[in-house]
Amino acid sequence: MKPIHLNLAARPYRDYRPVYAAVVVMSLLTAFLMLNNVDTYYRYIHETRNTRAKIASVEAEAQRERENASKVERSLKSIDLAHLDAQTQFVNAKLNERAFSWSALLDQLETILSDDVRLLSISPSFSDEGLITLGLSFQSKSAEGMIATLNRMNEDPHFRNPFPSTESQTDGQFQFTLTSEYLPQQALTAAEVVR
Amino acid sequence: MIWREKRILLIILGVLLAANTMFFFTYRVQYQSRLDDLDTRLEAAEQSLAQARQTRLTTERQIQGYRKVEADIAEVFDQHWSTQPKRFTAMVGEVKRLAIASSLNPQSYSFERAEAEARTSAARRGGKNIGATEVGMSFTVQGTYEQIRRLINLLELSRQFVIIDQISLNAAQDQLLTLNLHLKTIFRDDQQARVATNRL
Repeated sequence: MKPIHLNLAARPYRDYRPVYAAVVVMSLLTAFLMLNNVDTYYRYIHETRNTRAKIASVEAEAQRERENASKVERSLKSIDLAHLDAQTQFVNAKLNERAFSWSALLDQLETILSDDVRLLSISPSFSDEGLITLGLSFQSKSAEGMIATLNRMNEDPHFRNPFPSTESQTDGQFQFTLTSEYLPQQALTAAEVVR
Repeated sequence: MIWREKRILLIILGVLLAANTMFFFTYRVQYQSRLDDLDTRLEAAEQSLAQARQTRLTTERQIQGYRKVEADIAEVFDQHWSTQPKRFTAMVGEVKRLAIASSLNPQSYSFERAEAEARTSAARRGGKNIGATEVGMSFTVQGTYEQIRRLINLLELSRQFVIIDQISLNAAQDQLLTLNLHLKTIFRDDQQARVATNRL
Protein backbone atom coordinates (compact mmCIF):
# COMPACT_ATOMS: atom_id res chain seq x y z
CA MET A 1 0.00 0.00 0.00
CA LYS A 2 1.42 3.34 -1.07
CA PRO A 3 1.90 5.87 1.78
CA ILE A 4 0.20 9.22 1.39
CA HIS A 5 2.38 12.40 1.76
CA LEU A 6 0.43 15.28 2.93
CA ASN A 7 1.94 18.70 2.00
CA LEU A 8 -0.32 21.50 2.94
CA ALA A 9 2.27 24.38 2.39
CA ALA A 10 1.42 27.02 -0.18
CA ARG A 11 5.08 27.05 -1.58
CA PRO A 12 7.62 24.17 -1.72
CA TYR A 13 9.45 23.83 1.64
CA ARG A 14 13.25 24.76 1.65
CA ASP A 15 15.60 24.77 4.66
CA TYR A 16 17.70 27.98 4.13
CA ARG A 17 19.29 28.00 7.54
CA PRO A 18 22.75 26.79 6.38
CA VAL A 19 22.79 29.49 3.70
CA TYR A 20 21.82 32.22 6.14
CA ALA A 21 24.38 30.96 8.61
CA ALA A 22 27.07 31.12 5.94
CA VAL A 23 25.94 34.58 4.85
CA VAL A 24 26.00 35.85 8.43
CA VAL A 25 29.44 34.37 9.11
CA MET A 26 30.87 35.73 5.85
CA SER A 27 29.32 39.14 6.47
CA LEU A 28 30.70 39.33 9.96
CA LEU A 29 34.12 38.26 8.81
CA THR A 30 34.06 40.70 5.91
CA ALA A 31 32.90 43.54 8.18
CA PHE A 32 35.60 42.79 10.71
CA LEU A 33 38.31 42.61 8.08
CA MET A 34 37.03 45.70 6.31
CA LEU A 35 37.06 47.79 9.47
CA ASN A 36 40.53 46.56 10.25
CA ASN A 37 41.71 47.26 6.75
CA VAL A 38 40.24 50.76 6.67
CA ASP A 39 41.91 51.48 10.00
CA THR A 40 45.20 50.09 8.72
CA TYR A 41 44.99 52.09 5.50
CA TYR A 42 44.31 55.39 7.27
CA ARG A 43 46.95 54.72 9.85
CA TYR A 44 49.47 53.89 7.09
CA ILE A 45 48.59 56.99 5.08
CA HIS A 46 48.73 59.21 8.17
CA GLU A 47 51.88 57.78 9.69
CA THR A 48 53.86 57.74 6.44
CA ARG A 49 52.70 61.11 5.14
CA ASN A 50 55.88 62.89 6.26
CA THR A 51 58.15 60.14 5.01
CA ARG A 52 56.44 60.00 1.60
CA ALA A 53 56.56 63.77 1.30
CA LYS A 54 60.23 63.68 2.20
CA ILE A 55 60.89 60.96 -0.37
CA ALA A 56 59.11 62.99 -3.05
CA SER A 57 61.06 66.11 -2.13
CA VAL A 58 64.38 64.27 -2.02
CA GLU A 59 63.69 62.61 -5.37
CA ALA A 60 62.77 65.96 -6.91
CA GLU A 61 65.93 67.50 -5.47
CA ALA A 62 68.02 64.62 -6.84
CA GLN A 63 66.45 65.12 -10.25
CA ARG A 64 67.30 68.83 -10.13
CA GLU A 65 70.88 67.99 -9.10
CA ARG A 66 71.19 65.54 -12.00
CA GLU A 67 69.92 68.19 -14.43
CA ASN A 68 72.38 70.75 -13.02
CA ALA A 69 75.21 68.21 -13.20
CA SER A 70 74.46 67.48 -16.85
CA LYS A 71 74.41 71.24 -17.57
CA VAL A 72 77.77 71.66 -15.85
CA GLU A 73 79.13 68.62 -17.73
CA ARG A 74 78.00 70.16 -21.01
CA SER A 75 79.90 73.35 -20.23
CA LEU A 76 82.90 71.23 -19.16
CA LYS A 77 82.86 69.56 -22.56
CA SER A 78 82.92 72.96 -24.22
CA ILE A 79 86.37 73.66 -22.71
CA ASP A 80 89.21 72.75 -25.07
CA LEU A 81 91.21 70.76 -22.53
CA ALA A 82 93.93 69.68 -24.95
CA HIS A 83 94.66 73.28 -25.87
CA LEU A 84 94.49 74.39 -22.25
CA ASP A 85 96.89 71.59 -21.29
CA ALA A 86 99.31 72.57 -24.05
CA GLN A 87 99.18 76.22 -22.97
CA THR A 88 99.64 75.29 -19.32
CA GLN A 89 102.69 73.17 -20.07
CA PHE A 90 104.12 75.88 -22.27
CA VAL A 91 103.56 78.62 -19.68
CA ASN A 92 104.96 76.47 -16.85
CA ALA A 93 108.03 75.64 -18.91
CA LYS A 94 108.67 79.29 -19.70
CA LEU A 95 108.11 80.34 -16.08
CA ASN A 96 110.60 77.66 -14.98
CA GLU A 97 113.11 78.96 -17.49
CA ARG A 98 112.54 82.50 -16.25
CA ALA A 99 112.91 81.42 -12.63
CA PHE A 100 116.13 79.56 -13.35
CA SER A 101 118.97 81.25 -11.47
CA TRP A 102 122.05 81.65 -13.64
CA SER A 103 123.85 83.37 -10.78
CA ALA A 104 123.41 80.29 -8.58
CA LEU A 105 124.56 78.04 -11.40
CA LEU A 106 127.67 80.15 -12.02
CA ASP A 107 128.37 80.07 -8.27
CA GLN A 108 128.17 76.27 -8.34
CA LEU A 109 130.36 76.01 -11.42
CA GLU A 110 132.97 78.26 -9.80
CA THR A 111 133.30 75.75 -6.96
CA ILE A 112 133.92 72.75 -9.24
CA LEU A 113 136.26 74.27 -11.83
CA SER A 114 139.95 73.76 -11.27
CA ASP A 115 142.42 76.55 -12.00
CA ASP A 116 143.42 75.28 -15.42
CA VAL A 117 139.84 74.78 -16.68
CA ARG A 118 137.78 77.58 -18.12
CA LEU A 119 134.07 77.63 -18.91
CA LEU A 120 133.24 78.43 -22.54
CA SER A 121 129.50 78.05 -22.84
CA ILE A 122 126.40 76.97 -20.95
CA SER A 123 123.16 75.92 -22.53
CA PRO A 124 120.42 74.63 -20.23
CA SER A 125 117.36 72.71 -21.37
CA PHE A 126 114.22 72.18 -19.33
CA SER A 127 112.08 69.05 -19.45
CA ASP A 128 108.36 68.88 -18.67
CA GLU A 129 109.19 67.04 -15.44
CA GLY A 130 111.27 69.99 -14.24
CA LEU A 131 114.60 68.33 -15.00
CA ILE A 132 117.34 70.74 -16.02
CA THR A 133 120.02 69.41 -18.31
CA LEU A 134 123.11 71.51 -18.92
CA GLY A 135 125.14 71.44 -22.07
CA LEU A 136 128.57 72.72 -21.04
CA SER A 137 131.76 73.33 -22.94
CA PHE A 138 135.12 73.96 -21.33
CA GLN A 139 138.69 74.71 -22.23
CA SER A 140 141.58 73.20 -20.31
CA LYS A 141 145.32 73.72 -20.31
CA SER A 142 145.97 70.09 -19.33
CA ALA A 143 144.81 66.74 -20.64
CA GLU A 144 143.38 65.89 -17.23
CA GLY A 145 140.98 68.82 -17.30
CA MET A 146 137.96 66.81 -18.42
CA ILE A 147 138.59 63.98 -15.93
CA ALA A 148 139.10 66.43 -13.08
CA THR A 149 135.93 68.33 -13.99
CA LEU A 150 133.88 65.12 -14.21
CA ASN A 151 135.24 63.97 -10.85
CA ARG A 152 134.40 67.27 -9.19
CA MET A 153 130.90 67.26 -10.69
CA ASN A 154 130.35 63.72 -9.42
CA GLU A 155 131.24 64.88 -5.91
CA ASP A 156 128.87 67.87 -6.03
CA PRO A 157 125.22 66.96 -5.31
CA HIS A 158 124.02 69.81 -7.56
CA PHE A 159 125.23 67.91 -10.60
CA ARG A 160 124.05 64.46 -11.63
CA ASN A 161 125.14 62.04 -14.31
CA PRO A 162 127.77 64.23 -15.94
CA PHE A 163 128.78 62.65 -19.23
CA PRO A 164 131.32 63.83 -21.81
CA SER A 165 130.35 64.40 -25.44
CA THR A 166 133.56 65.46 -27.16
CA GLU A 167 137.17 66.28 -26.38
CA SER A 168 139.62 67.83 -28.83
CA GLN A 169 143.08 69.34 -28.72
CA THR A 170 144.02 72.54 -30.54
CA ASP A 171 147.28 74.44 -30.10
CA GLY A 172 147.98 72.74 -26.79
CA GLN A 173 144.55 73.62 -25.45
CA PHE A 174 142.01 70.91 -24.69
CA GLN A 175 138.38 71.63 -25.42
CA PHE A 176 135.68 69.34 -24.15
CA THR A 177 131.93 69.33 -23.94
CA LEU A 178 129.74 67.46 -21.53
CA THR A 179 126.15 67.24 -20.37
CA SER A 180 124.94 67.02 -16.82
CA GLU A 181 121.67 67.13 -14.97
CA TYR A 182 121.53 70.13 -12.65
CA LEU A 183 119.66 70.40 -9.37
CA PRO A 184 119.29 73.98 -8.13
CA GLN A 185 119.52 74.51 -4.38
CA GLN A 186 115.70 74.47 -3.89
CA ALA A 187 115.35 71.18 -5.76
CA LEU A 188 118.21 69.72 -3.76
CA THR A 189 116.65 70.84 -0.46
CA ALA A 190 113.26 69.45 -1.53
CA ALA A 191 114.85 66.12 -2.50
CA GLU A 192 116.58 65.93 0.90
CA VAL A 193 113.31 66.67 2.71
CA VAL A 194 111.58 63.88 0.76
CA ARG A 195 114.40 61.51 1.63
CA MET B 1 19.74 23.72 -4.67
CA ILE B 2 19.44 26.24 -1.85
CA TRP B 3 23.07 27.41 -2.40
CA ARG B 4 22.43 27.87 -6.08
CA GLU B 5 19.38 30.00 -5.38
CA LYS B 6 21.45 32.41 -3.26
CA ARG B 7 24.58 32.24 -5.39
CA ILE B 8 24.70 35.94 -6.29
CA LEU B 9 24.67 37.02 -2.68
CA LEU B 10 27.20 34.36 -1.81
CA ILE B 11 29.50 35.29 -4.68
CA ILE B 12 29.41 38.99 -3.71
CA LEU B 13 30.15 38.15 -0.12
CA GLY B 14 32.87 35.74 -1.18
CA VAL B 15 34.57 38.34 -3.36
CA LEU B 16 34.40 40.96 -0.60
CA LEU B 17 35.78 38.51 1.92
CA ALA B 18 38.58 37.43 -0.39
CA ALA B 19 39.54 41.05 -1.18
CA ASN B 20 39.55 42.04 2.48
CA THR B 21 41.50 38.95 3.42
CA MET B 22 44.09 39.70 0.76
CA PHE B 23 44.33 43.32 1.84
CA PHE B 24 44.59 42.23 5.44
CA PHE B 25 47.46 39.88 4.79
CA THR B 26 49.33 42.25 2.52
CA TYR B 27 48.83 45.45 4.50
CA ARG B 28 48.05 44.59 8.06
CA VAL B 29 50.33 41.63 8.52
CA GLN B 30 53.19 43.23 6.57
CA TYR B 31 52.62 46.69 8.01
CA GLN B 32 56.05 46.96 9.62
CA SER B 33 57.82 45.70 6.56
CA ARG B 34 55.98 48.32 4.51
CA LEU B 35 57.15 51.01 6.90
CA ASP B 36 60.66 49.60 6.65
CA ASP B 37 60.38 49.62 2.86
CA LEU B 38 59.43 53.25 3.00
CA ASP B 39 62.44 54.03 5.19
CA THR B 40 64.63 52.10 2.78
CA ARG B 41 63.20 54.08 -0.13
CA LEU B 42 63.90 57.31 1.72
CA GLU B 43 67.44 56.20 2.44
CA ALA B 44 67.97 55.21 -1.20
CA ALA B 45 66.56 58.54 -2.38
CA GLU B 46 68.88 60.40 0.00
CA GLN B 47 71.84 58.38 -1.22
CA SER B 48 70.89 59.10 -4.81
CA LEU B 49 70.62 62.81 -3.96
CA ALA B 50 74.00 62.81 -2.23
CA GLN B 51 75.55 61.06 -5.22
CA ALA B 52 73.98 63.48 -7.71
CA ARG B 53 75.11 66.43 -5.57
CA GLN B 54 78.62 65.01 -5.30
CA THR B 55 78.78 64.54 -9.07
CA ARG B 56 77.64 68.11 -9.64
CA LEU B 57 80.08 69.51 -7.07
CA THR B 58 82.98 67.50 -8.49
CA THR B 59 82.21 68.69 -12.01
CA GLU B 60 81.79 72.27 -10.78
CA ARG B 61 85.11 72.09 -8.95
CA GLN B 62 86.71 70.75 -12.12
CA ILE B 63 85.28 73.64 -14.10
CA GLN B 64 86.39 76.12 -11.45
CA GLY B 65 89.86 74.60 -11.60
CA TYR B 66 89.97 74.90 -15.37
CA ARG B 67 88.62 78.45 -15.23
CA LYS B 68 91.31 79.32 -12.68
CA VAL B 69 93.98 77.84 -14.93
CA GLU B 70 92.52 79.75 -17.88
CA ALA B 71 92.56 82.96 -15.84
CA ASP B 72 96.15 82.34 -14.69
CA ILE B 73 97.27 81.65 -18.25
CA ALA B 74 95.43 84.73 -19.48
CA GLU B 75 97.17 86.77 -16.78
CA VAL B 76 100.59 85.52 -17.85
CA PHE B 77 99.74 86.13 -21.51
CA ASP B 78 98.25 89.59 -20.89
CA GLN B 79 100.27 90.99 -18.00
CA HIS B 80 103.71 89.41 -18.29
CA TRP B 81 104.05 88.64 -21.98
CA SER B 82 101.72 91.15 -23.59
CA THR B 83 101.92 91.76 -27.34
CA GLN B 84 105.03 92.53 -29.32
CA PRO B 85 103.97 96.10 -30.24
CA LYS B 86 103.34 96.88 -26.59
CA ARG B 87 106.41 95.36 -24.96
CA PHE B 88 109.19 94.71 -27.47
CA THR B 89 110.76 98.18 -27.46
CA ALA B 90 110.47 98.39 -23.69
CA MET B 91 112.28 95.08 -23.36
CA VAL B 92 115.10 96.05 -25.73
CA GLY B 93 115.43 99.36 -23.89
CA GLU B 94 115.61 97.54 -20.57
CA VAL B 95 118.34 95.15 -21.80
CA LYS B 96 120.39 98.09 -23.12
CA ARG B 97 119.91 99.97 -19.86
CA LEU B 98 121.06 96.94 -17.83
CA ALA B 99 124.12 96.51 -20.06
CA ILE B 100 125.06 100.14 -19.44
CA ALA B 101 124.38 99.71 -15.72
CA SER B 102 126.89 96.84 -15.77
CA SER B 103 129.40 99.07 -17.56
CA LEU B 104 129.17 96.92 -20.67
CA ASN B 105 128.67 98.20 -24.17
CA PRO B 106 127.22 95.79 -26.72
CA GLN B 107 128.28 96.74 -30.22
CA SER B 108 125.54 94.91 -32.05
CA TYR B 109 122.33 93.08 -31.45
CA SER B 110 120.56 90.44 -33.52
CA PHE B 111 116.95 89.37 -33.27
CA GLU B 112 114.93 86.42 -34.44
CA ARG B 113 111.30 85.50 -34.13
CA ALA B 114 109.48 82.14 -34.19
CA GLU B 115 106.01 80.94 -33.41
CA ALA B 116 105.99 79.29 -30.01
CA GLU B 117 105.29 75.58 -30.22
CA ALA B 118 103.52 73.26 -27.83
CA ARG B 119 105.93 71.11 -25.88
CA THR B 120 104.16 67.77 -26.19
CA SER B 121 103.69 65.96 -29.46
CA ALA B 122 100.06 65.22 -28.50
CA ALA B 123 99.37 68.93 -28.18
CA ARG B 124 101.20 69.62 -31.44
CA ARG B 125 99.01 67.03 -33.17
CA GLY B 126 96.01 69.03 -31.93
CA GLY B 127 96.89 71.57 -34.60
CA LYS B 128 96.20 74.71 -32.56
CA ASN B 129 99.09 77.01 -31.86
CA ILE B 130 99.90 78.21 -28.38
CA GLY B 131 99.05 81.78 -29.25
CA ALA B 132 102.49 83.14 -28.49
CA THR B 133 105.62 84.14 -30.33
CA GLU B 134 109.13 83.54 -29.10
CA VAL B 135 111.58 86.34 -29.82
CA GLY B 136 115.31 85.82 -29.43
CA MET B 137 117.91 88.50 -28.92
CA SER B 138 121.67 87.99 -29.08
CA PHE B 139 124.50 90.34 -28.34
CA THR B 140 128.16 90.26 -27.45
CA VAL B 141 129.90 92.30 -24.79
CA GLN B 142 133.41 92.52 -23.47
CA GLY B 143 134.09 93.00 -19.80
CA THR B 144 135.43 91.54 -16.61
CA TYR B 145 133.90 88.47 -15.03
CA GLU B 146 132.38 90.67 -12.31
CA GLN B 147 130.72 92.94 -14.88
CA ILE B 148 129.30 89.91 -16.71
CA ARG B 149 128.00 88.43 -13.47
CA ARG B 150 126.40 91.77 -12.65
CA LEU B 151 124.67 91.91 -16.04
CA ILE B 152 123.37 88.36 -15.61
CA ASN B 153 122.15 89.22 -12.13
CA LEU B 154 120.38 92.37 -13.31
CA LEU B 155 118.72 90.46 -16.14
CA GLU B 156 117.47 87.89 -13.62
CA LEU B 157 116.04 90.64 -11.43
CA SER B 158 114.49 92.58 -14.30
CA ARG B 159 110.73 93.14 -14.27
CA GLN B 160 110.70 92.34 -17.97
CA PHE B 161 110.00 88.71 -18.86
CA VAL B 162 113.49 87.95 -20.15
CA ILE B 163 114.91 84.44 -20.23
CA ILE B 164 118.65 83.95 -20.47
CA ASP B 165 118.78 81.14 -22.99
CA GLN B 166 122.47 80.58 -23.50
CA ILE B 167 125.79 82.15 -22.61
CA SER B 168 129.20 81.70 -24.19
CA LEU B 169 132.42 83.01 -22.74
CA ASN B 170 135.77 83.58 -24.38
CA ALA B 171 138.98 85.02 -23.08
CA ALA B 172 139.74 88.34 -24.73
CA GLN B 173 142.74 90.19 -23.34
CA ASP B 174 144.14 90.58 -19.85
CA GLN B 175 141.23 90.06 -17.45
CA LEU B 176 138.61 90.73 -20.10
CA LEU B 177 136.11 88.15 -21.30
CA THR B 178 133.90 88.14 -24.34
CA LEU B 179 130.37 87.21 -23.43
CA ASN B 180 127.94 86.08 -26.06
CA LEU B 181 124.48 86.23 -24.57
CA HIS B 182 121.32 84.83 -26.09
CA LEU B 183 118.14 86.07 -24.48
CA LYS B 184 114.59 85.21 -25.34
CA THR B 185 111.17 86.42 -24.43
CA ILE B 186 107.59 85.53 -25.23
CA PHE B 187 104.90 87.75 -26.71
CA ARG B 188 101.23 87.02 -26.87
CA ASP B 189 99.94 86.88 -30.44
CA ASP B 190 97.72 89.74 -31.57
CA GLN B 191 95.24 87.15 -32.77
CA GLN B 192 95.11 85.84 -29.20
CA ALA B 193 94.41 89.38 -28.04
CA ARG B 194 91.57 89.68 -30.51
CA VAL B 195 90.06 86.42 -29.25
CA ALA B 196 90.34 87.66 -25.65
CA THR B 197 88.67 90.93 -26.59
CA ASN B 198 85.90 89.10 -28.42
CA ARG B 199 85.37 86.90 -25.38
CA LEU B 200 84.84 89.99 -23.24
